[in-house]
Amino acid sequence: MFKPLTQAVQLGYRTAFNLFEWPMAGAQRLVGISRVAWLFLLPNLLIFGLFTFLPIILNFFYATTGSDAILLSQRPYVGAENFSSLLSCTDYLDPNSCRRDVFWRAVYNTGWFVVLQVGFMIAFSLVTALILNRDIPLKGFFRGVFFYPVLLSPVVVALIWKWILQRYGIFNAGLEDLGLAPVDWLIDAHWAFFWIIFVSIWAHMGFYTLILLAGLQAIPSDVYEAAEMDGASRFRVFSKITMPLLMPTMVVVVVLSLIRAVQAFDEIFVLTGGGPGSATTLILQYIYETGFASRPQLFGLAAAASILMAVVLLVLTLLQLRATRSQAEG
Amino acid sequence: MAVVELQKLVKDYAGFRAIHGVDLRIDDGEFCVFVGPSGCGKSTLLRMIAGLEEISDGELRIDGRRVNEERAAERGLAMVFQSYALYPHMTVRENLAFGLENIKTPKDEIRRRVDEAARMLQIGDYMERRPKQLSGGQRQRVAIGRAVVREPKVFLFDEPLSNLDAELRVVMRGEISQLHRRLGNTMIYVTHDQVEAMTMADKIVVLKLGTIQQVGSPLDLYNRPANQFVAGFIGSPRMNFFEATVAEQARGGIVATDEGGRRVEAAVSPERVEPGAPVTLGVRPEHLEIGSERGHPVTVETIEQLGGESYLYCRDSNGRPITVHKSGQTRIRAGEEAKVFLPAEAIHVFREDGSALERLRIGEEA
Repeated sequence: MFKPLTQAVQLGYRTAFNLFEWPMAGAQRLVGISRVAWLFLLPNLLIFGLFTFLPIILNFFYATTGSDAILLSQRPYVGAENFSSLLSCTDYLDPNSCRRDVFWRAVYNTGWFVVLQVGFMIAFSLVTALILNRDIPLKGFFRGVFFYPVLLSPVVVALIWKWILQRYGIFNAGLEDLGLAPVDWLIDAHWAFFWIIFVSIWAHMGFYTLILLAGLQAIPSDVYEAAEMDGASRFRVFSKITMPLLMPTMVVVVVLSLIRAVQAFDEIFVLTGGGPGSATTLILQYIYETGFASRPQLFGLAAAASILMAVVLLVLTLLQLRATRSQAEG
Repeated sequence: MAVVELQKLVKDYAGFRAIHGVDLRIDDGEFCVFVGPSGCGKSTLLRMIAGLEEISDGELRIDGRRVNEERAAERGLAMVFQSYALYPHMTVRENLAFGLENIKTPKDEIRRRVDEAARMLQIGDYMERRPKQLSGGQRQRVAIGRAVVREPKVFLFDEPLSNLDAELRVVMRGEISQLHRRLGNTMIYVTHDQVEAMTMADKIVVLKLGTIQQVGSPLDLYNRPANQFVAGFIGSPRMNFFEATVAEQARGGIVATDEGGRRVEAAVSPERVEPGAPVTLGVRPEHLEIGSERGHPVTVETIEQLGGESYLYCRDSNGRPITVHKSGQTRIRAGEEAKVFLPAEAIHVFREDGSALERLRIGEEA
């Protein structure tokens, strides 16, 4: 059973090598041995260049040109006007005083969303990971339960919660059944903002719980035994052993979830559509609506806004790179 | 200072018993070594004493007080782990101080004790480094230091030297012995290395499959192993064993015939054995005499000449391997035939159940 299998595998390898031998040799003769690597990279370079790198360059051109024309040749050069338009406010703390008030409302919404969503999500993820790391019954089941929403499409997540939270949804039906007054969960501005945070925590915390759980399990158990012999209280074990040793993982989790929160769009767009008014409009939705969904389509403004957002993401990404590198160095 | 008593100590894991009712008394100031092959339960026993494993049944007493229910730290013990288990994010100083901070020791008292331990273990030069920046031997010293600063009643060592290279192991062996002499504490030391057990212990406890095989001083175990397992485990290279049958009982011993029909005299008590009973004869490699006119004919297969001593690996006519240890050098060459003599007073005799017959004359080593 085993031996014929090995032989078949060997035959497969030999055939594959023979098959690739002459094209490889031909390619080496054609471009030289040292340049064959480029040949292998070419397909990816083409795709990356065409669909990622080129749009980034084009984005700069759109950001510095005006009008609603889509072809760059028909767009007049306006310099930094799109940026100054976005950034002109008499009072930066009051979006109503800004020329692009929706942009600033989206910026503030995104700011609050990032702080609250990331803060609470990490707190919940940490507590969940700590519990799941202990010897509880049905450990595997609970780990699965918390991870399950991560596997759902964001649209499905939003539709599930919309079905629960809408005016005639199941939540209000339950409240009415208990004799309580129904609430307009997605129509009241404050409740709507609460629910977009809640739903995105629900949808993503399983992922971060899993990373934190892995971080907890990477802490060697003999260190805990040594702490036990050293007479450390449970609180001191947590604050002096667990947290410091979990810190590298925690930094990665914080930065990753920050980046994701800044980019939040899909669940919220489907759940509230950014409303009521612009109460739950985040920066990415503003860019989408300015550039594509509204008439006239202000590509320049959207491109400028996305560059501003990219700067924020760039800072966060650099932080993440530093964090993961220092973690790898341990 | 402390006496540790184990009374019918039992450890059950789901569906299997790891420790089968162990009784043991470790006296104040004693250096006691648990030794045995892997899986014999020696580490489990140590961890039960430490409080890291729950005691399923029986009683553990330290200075006469039952401590089964007490937390590890409350038992007044300190442990040195095989993996060192240093706190990786703390400096050496913080590692040493952690246990004292836990019990809210005054700052200058911590400082005094940590500095004293650092001086004793010669780790003062790297107090501000982290464990990762230390070599294996340095980490080991820090781990011992962490135990020392707590001024425990009993030190527990769980195979502390097994991660060190051979040379460093010998050095650290000496240092731990020296530490014991200086502090005078009761120490319990787990190892699978019988050389460590022989060189360090006041008292050796040989364990196998969760039961005690024998308790005694190193030379007791070497001279009077209680059974074939202990005889084979203590001593390096291993004792040679031969199958034989008791031919007759005589004054001053028994006479047995081996598989080749040769008569072998053994100076052991003939009381617990009848003529015709199958027995196992054991002779340590260092007690075999090779090159004389009498004895078993063997073929020498391999020779290790170390200069000061020689090891001859032989095979007898039945194909049984026989190891001979000879002090000094030998002229015998590999491939040659030779005769190996079994001196009567050096022979151990084990009954079919493995238990040893009492030796009547213990030669020069007594």
